[in-house]
Amino acid sequence: MFDEALRMEDIHLAYRDLVGAMFSKPRILGYFRGIEMDPQKELFSNVNLSVKRGETICIGGPSGQGKSALLRVIAGLTRPTRGNIYYFGEYIPPEKLTALEVAKRQVGMVFQNGALISNLRVRDNIALPLRYHKMGTAAEIEEKINMAMDLMRVRDEADLFPHMLSMGMQKRVAIARSWAMDPKLLLMDEPTAGLDNYNRRNLLPLIDNMRTLFKTTILIVTHDLMISKELGCNICFLHRKTLTEPKPFDYWLNSDSEISRELFRDLRNSG
Amino acid sequence: MLGLFLLRRPFGQQIALFFRAISSIFAKNRSLKTDSRNIIMQTYFTAVEIFPILIVVATLFGTITIIEVISMMGKMGFADFVGSMIVVVVIRELGPVLTAFLIAGRSGSSLTTYIGSMVINYEVDALATMGVNPIRFLVMPSLIGGCIAMFIMNIFFSASAICGGYILTKCAIFMSGMSGVMQSEMSSIQLTWTYLTDEILKALTLDDFLFIVVKPLVFGAIITTNACYQALNIPRDVRQVPKAVSRSVIKSFLYVVIADVIISIFYLVDYMNNLNQLI
Repeated sequence: MFDEALRMEDIHLAYRDLVGAMFSKPRILGYFRGIEMDPQKELFSNVNLSVKRGETICIGGPSGQGKSALLRVIAGLTRPTRGNIYYFGEYIPPEKLTALEVAKRQVGMVFQNGALISNLRVRDNIALPLRYHKMGTAAEIEEKINMAMDLMRVRDEADLFPHMLSMGMQKRVAIARSWAMDPKLLLMDEPTAGLDNYNRRNLLPLIDNMRTLFKTTILIVTHDLMISKELGCNICFLHRKTLTEPKPFDYWLNSDSEISRELFRDLRNSG
Repeated sequence: MLGLFLLRRPFGQQIALFFRAISSIFAKNRSLKTDSRNIIMQTYFTAVEIFPILIVVATLFGTITIIEVISMMGKMGFADFVGSMIVVVVIRELGPVLTAFLIAGRSGSSLTTYIGSMVINYEVDALATMGVNPIRFLVMPSLIGGCIAMFIMNIFFSASAICGGYILTKCAIFMSGMSGVMQSEMSSIQLTWTYLTDEILKALTLDDFLFIVVKPLVFGAIITTNACYQALNIPRDVRQVPKAVSRSVIKSFLYVVIADVIISIFYLVDYMNNLNQLI
């Protein structure tokens, strides 16, 4: 129980609830909506997942299966239609499940496009949550920012605006920003999408460093199955509206299940 | 149940957003320095950059009012009411409303675009996942900055409407005297600065000063809350941003006029009370 970072039980999400919690609306409104029971209108249903502390898990699958939506549910941006989520053994009831509440439990998220605040410089982007939460004195925050920038190797770009950076840079800054918050659970949405091979090879060791040095639990959503092999972590798939058991890469490569036949065919043929 | 009924409507949600923004001032991890910097930035953005246009509009508008009032009132034999007429038209009613329209058209629309594109780019979501409350970080500074800017701009509007209006009217009288057009009418107007200010100061009551403060604050709160609400309400669709902007401006106009009517009822009640005393 104590070494558990995240547990999801019987999560359902209807297409209707996909838009997510609007900050313009009081969240009590969502509580009075009818529950969608039609399985045809659900994006995924009956998702169960349990992640241990310090563990890294990839969630794979073809696009359109709701991988990113699942990550949004975990981050609290989208409220699941049904189901329970436990963060570090603590249950959050659905009416309290908001992104702010989840963020208090030190869950960080890296968005697919980086989602850097576009009118702040890189340095201020990383500093923003630290200053907002007053995590230490000005000198400590400065030191933390520099550490995060060194870790992700974006120190030279500290005074640039996000639109001056390439996609790969933006992603690295976004990861640095999440890391600076000392997350215990880090959610990453497609960290390697849109990166060339060189940047991808640079990024993966950085994720690996973070995992080994700071014992962060990492959940990676990706369609790039080789990440799982290179990081040596388990991978599970959203398939037929539900999530499979996490298994090592080699298991999927050699098994005879439907997923393996569909997704690993190219990898098998190329050896 | 009534509360729930209201909360399902955009109007109730806007009121809820307003109170959430106000309550977020007193949130646990407040920092006076960052907040005041954001608020000052927002005030600057709302107030200073609209300044030239506002001054021009106010001056021209003041000129029209003064010319109309003085020529009409003199003809109808109500010359004693010139001051109260200018007070009613410029300071009490149209000054705040026109300022509100200008600020809604400029700052309200840009605020909607700004926050709306942040919503589209997932930046608001990113703020929330970092534990930064978007309502506190985005809505609250614009709300307070908008109110302050609206207040300052309203005073500038009234002042420049009267001063600039006086100067332009003088010019107009001088020019028409030169050219000989409408000489008989215009030259009969004896407009001096002391006459105008005396009349206006005579007509000003304590209620007017109260409403010079209250009206801009109410209008500023309406405009910024509405703009932020429309922006945060955008679904993830780029085409919705222009729609939200136009909704934001039009609804701001509507709400400002409705609020103005509601506030004006106060004057009506006041008038009725005076009527009772007279009888």
